[in-house]
Amino acid sequence: MNFPENLRYTKTHEWIKADGSKARVGVTEYAQKEISDVVFVELAKKGHPVSQGKAASVIESVKAAFDIYAPVSGTVTDANQALESNPGLVNQDPYGAGWLFELEISSPGDLDSLMTARQYSEFVQSGPQH
Amino acid sequence: MMNMETSTQKLPLHGEHLALGARMGGFGGWEVPLYYSTVIEEHLAVRTAAGIFDISHMGEILVDGPGALDFLEKNLPRRIAPLKLRQAIYMPLVNDRGGMVDDIIVYCVGSERFLIVVNAGNIKKDYDWFKGRASGDVSVRDLSPDLGLLAVQGPASQAIITDVFGAYYRDLKRFTYGDFEGGMIARTGYTGEDGFEIMVPKDKLKSVWDAVLRAGPKRGLKPIGFGARDTLRLEAAMPLYGHELDDEITPFEAGLGWAIDLTKPVFPGQPVLKKQKEEGVARKRIGFEMTGRGIPRHGCEVQKNGTRIGWVTSGSFIPVAGGSGRNLGMAYVSFSEAAEGSEIDIIIRGNPAKARIVSLPFYKRK
Repeated sequence: MNFPENLRYTKTHEWIKADGSKARVGVTEYAQKEISDVVFVELAKKGHPVSQGKAASVIESVKAAFDIYAPVSGTVTDANQALESNPGLVNQDPYGAGWLFELEISSPGDLDSLMTARQYSEFVQSGPQH
Repeated sequence: MMNMETSTQKLPLHGEHLALGARMGGFGGWEVPLYYSTVIEEHLAVRTAAGIFDISHMGEILVDGPGALDFLEKNLPRRIAPLKLRQAIYMPLVNDRGGMVDDIIVYCVGSERFLIVVNAGNIKKDYDWFKGRASGDVSVRDLSPDLGLLAVQGPASQAIITDVFGAYYRDLKRFTYGDFEGGMIARTGYTGEDGFEIMVPKDKLKSVWDAVLRAGPKRGLKPIGFGARDTLRLEAAMPLYGHELDDEITPFEAGLGWAIDLTKPVFPGQPVLKKQKEEGVARKRIGFEMTGRGIPRHGCEVQKNGTRIGWVTSGSFIPVAGGSGRNLGMAYVSFSEAAEGSEIDIIIRGNPAKARIVSLPFYKRK
């Protein structure tokens, strides 16, 4: 599976791409495969504060809903409107067109607690129970 | 992210499901295939071609003995006497309060001999219910551990059954069966499509599964998991025990009045149901389609103008061939609010989302 080197990862299978105090968030290749057909995304709310490890968005497959947690604390600055009409982008391009939301990071130190691509890859391979 | 129900019992074809790459998960205490490819692909395969389902979790209870017909006639809400050999009939099992113990199919498999197919989660409850009412000349036995059940469903199912098992089964009428390998092939199902259910002793299950999966794919057949089994039955508005049916809901509320024969003078719950039929129900099962954004799920509250009028029993995204799909659900609502076309709100994660009451079923085969 593909876990790009330039991203940081959570144990709950989100990725974050930070650029200074701005960041973009999505779910990993592993997550989209586990969720299977994404048929609905409840977008993060622009302007709302989010806390590291707390639910910021919801992805639904045909049969179940999955909370998506904020990898770091901050304020939501944008959400991917394209997912309203085409939620399948999360499956097709989880690191690109299937991104979920963007935020302004409030405590940059949060990033240090996240996994690198190599660490996440080992984490995913270590077992299916997360 | 993942929160799967923990489960214990494995299906007899567990290894076959793993070999096909199934994602396994819990359903009513069983570890079952949720999907092999995706729920959407599998749903559409059954609507447009065919699918095979392993439903060996289902229970089978045999009632026989010299008093079997009389016993069932006294305890079931439809007449059993008219049932001929190799015919079957669907009905709810009703308790003394008029609520539903289960929904079942009764097969007449001999003189004074009936096989009753029950829901997996209710095997013990139903067995105890029958056993507790049976007297000396009736034997009640749970055959569930000995029997396996497969379903072949979809517009191509007739051709596949004919290819694999011969023309003898091609002309079976709905709710009848033909003898097969110490079991039966019945024309029944739970998808809203034409289809067959194959019940055989467990040691013959694998050969039937293999034969259908060898011959079926050229007619578009795929193995189908429990995810699509649920979306198919929901789209066809077939009730699921524990969702649309339970011990406190009556058949008339559930829209199963057609499966109750009130001209029968005696059966459990008869007086309650007769009274309800005369006075009308206070709540009823409805179907709705989301017009706002969101997927309704079991347990969501239903509101009208900010007031609670009921609850969602089942809800899902339902794929549509050549389209993008619909978000559909079934619910119980107050009878006074149950009019088709009425606008309602479904409370999803604390927020109201708009929906419209529509007629059931959502899907009817042509």
